Amino acid sequence: MILEPIVPTVLSVRRLPHADPALVRAYGGDPAKHTSLGLVTVDQDDPTYVALDEATKHAPVDVIFAKSFYAGSAHASGRLSGEILGVLGAADPESIDQALDALLRCLAHDACFYDADGKRTVTVFPHVISSLGEYLSREAGLAPGEPMAYLVAPPIEATIGLDAALKAADVRAVKVMTPPTETNFAAAWLTGTLDECEAAAVAYAAAVVDVAGAPK
Amino acid sequence: MSRTRQLMAHLRDALGSAEPLPRPEPLPAIPPPPARVYTPRPERRPFAAEAARHTTALVGIGHVGTRYATDVVLQFQAELAVAHAAVGALLPEDWAPQNGFTALKTRVKDHREFLLRPDLGRRLDDASVEAVRRCTRNPDVQVIVADGLSAVACMGSGKQLYEAVARACQARGLSVGTPVCASFARVWLEDEIGQEVGAKVAMILLGERPGLGTGDGLSAYVVHEPRIGKTDGDRNMISNIHPRGMPIDEAAARLAALAAAMIEQRTSGVTLDLARLGLASERTPRPPQVRQKLVNA
Repeated sequence: MILEPIVPTVLSVRRLPHADPALVRAYGGDPAKHTSLGLVTVDQDDPTYVALDEATKHAPVDVIFAKSFYAGSAHASGRLSGEILGVLGAADPESIDQALDALLRCLAHDACFYDADGKRTVTVFPHVISSLGEYLSREAGLAPGEPMAYLVAPPIEATIGLDAALKAADVRAVKVMTPPTETNFAAAWLTGTLDECEAAAVAYAAAVVDVAGAPK
Repeated sequence: MSRTRQLMAHLRDALGSAEPLPRPEPLPAIPPPPARVYTPRPERRPFAAEAARHTTALVGIGHVGTRYATDVVLQFQAELAVAHAAVGALLPEDWAPQNGFTALKTRVKDHREFLLRPDLGRRLDDASVEAVRRCTRNPDVQVIVADGLSAVACMGSGKQLYEAVARACQARGLSVGTPVCASFARVWLEDEIGQEVGAKVAMILLGERPGLGTGDGLSAYVVHEPRIGKTDGDRNMISNIHPRGMPIDEAAARLAALAAAMIEQRTSGVTLDLARLGLASERTPRPPQVRQKLVNA
C-alpha cells in the first residue's frame, strides 16, 4: 500500500556493561567516558540514525559508532547483520538502558521507511526531526534543538525528490549525499523552520511516489 | 502518533489512496514518575506569624515536603516580575521638563549599556555638563532626581520626594539648587553635579535596585563637599523610601537634618557623628507591613 509505514525490524539489542577499553577505543569511543556500551543491529539504517539521535536526548549517552553496511539489508552478511550497527557509549549501564528504551521506542513508533510504489520495491524515508539531538546536530553542523528534514530514497527518486523539496519549502540543504551511499541510496539533510521542514518532507515523499509510479 | 507518520498519512489521503492503513501498534503506556504527595504545612508558630506581619520578606511561609507551597512560589515569581519590569523601564525623555526639572544625561547611550557600564552612568555627557554650569551656583544643597535602577519609582514618587526635601531644607534655612533630573544615572553622579555647581552638599534621589515586589522604592544618597573621587564611605543614605517602607515626609525630614548636620560638622559618611543628629538617627518601630497579594493560587 502506498505510503504504508514499513516498521524497521530490530535484529539484535545487546549491552556490554563494562566493555574492554581497547574495544571502546577501536570503535571511536573514549575509554575514560564510555565504559558501558549498547549495541543494536537493525534492517533499516536511516531510521536507526534518527533513533540513535533520539536516544541522546533521553540519557547522557554518546553515539560512538554508527555505520551502514554495503548494499543494504537485502544483501546482509548474516541473519543478525541487517543494514546498520549502532553503538551507544555511556558512563554507566543505566544510561544505556534508558537510551536503548528511547531508541527502540523511536524505531517502533516514529522513524521508518515508507512504501513508495505499493509493492515495497521502492521505499522512501521522508523523516522530520522536530528537535535535533546531540548526535545528528554534530553530524549536520547544526545546533541541538533545531529541526531537520532527513530525506532518503533510491538514486533517481531521491534526485527528483530533493529538487521538489527544495522548491516546495524555504529550506536550506545542510548535506546532500549523492548516490551511491553504502546502501546504494541517496540522501539529503535540509533545515529551516519546523513547518518548512515538514513541507519539504511531504513534497519529497510525493515526488518519490510520483517517480515510482511513472518512471518514464 | 509520530509527526512524520501523520504527515505521510495526510499525503496518502491527498494522493487519493482509499484503502485504510493497518492500525499502528498502540503506544506502550509510559509509567508515571514515582509520586509522593506531601501535605502543605503552613507555619503555625505564633512567633513566625507575628514576624511575618512586620515584613514583606519571605518568613513564616510554611512548607510542602522540602519545598515552598505553590502560592508562595507564584507570589515569588510575580514579585520578581515586578522587579524585572522596574529594571527594564525607561524614564521618558519629556518627563523631566514636564515636571519642572532640568534634564541631564550621563555618558550612557542605551539601557543595556546602562546596566553593563556603571562607570559611564557616573559621569555627565558634554551637553549636560554645559546645562549644569548654567544652574544656580554654590547652593547649600543640590538635590538631584534620577532614574537609577527603577525609572518606575522615579516617575512614581520622585517629584513628591524632591518637593518634600526642598521644603524641609528651606525650612532649616538651607538654600536649594536648581532642580535637575538625570537619566541613566548611578549614585556617584552626584559627585560631578555637586562639584560643577559648587554645592556644599549633594543629594541624589534615585530609584533603587528593585527587590521582590518593590519596584517603587527610592533611595537617597547624601555627600558633603561633592568631588569626583568621593567613595561610599563619604556618603550617608536612606533606602526603602516607599509606602511600605519609610514614608516620604519622614524621609524628607531626615534628609534635611542630615544635610544640615553635614554642613555643621563639615563632613559626611562614616565620620559624621549621627549621635548629634537627633531625629535623623532615631529609630522608631515600623508599623506592620502588609504583603500585597499579586497571585490568586
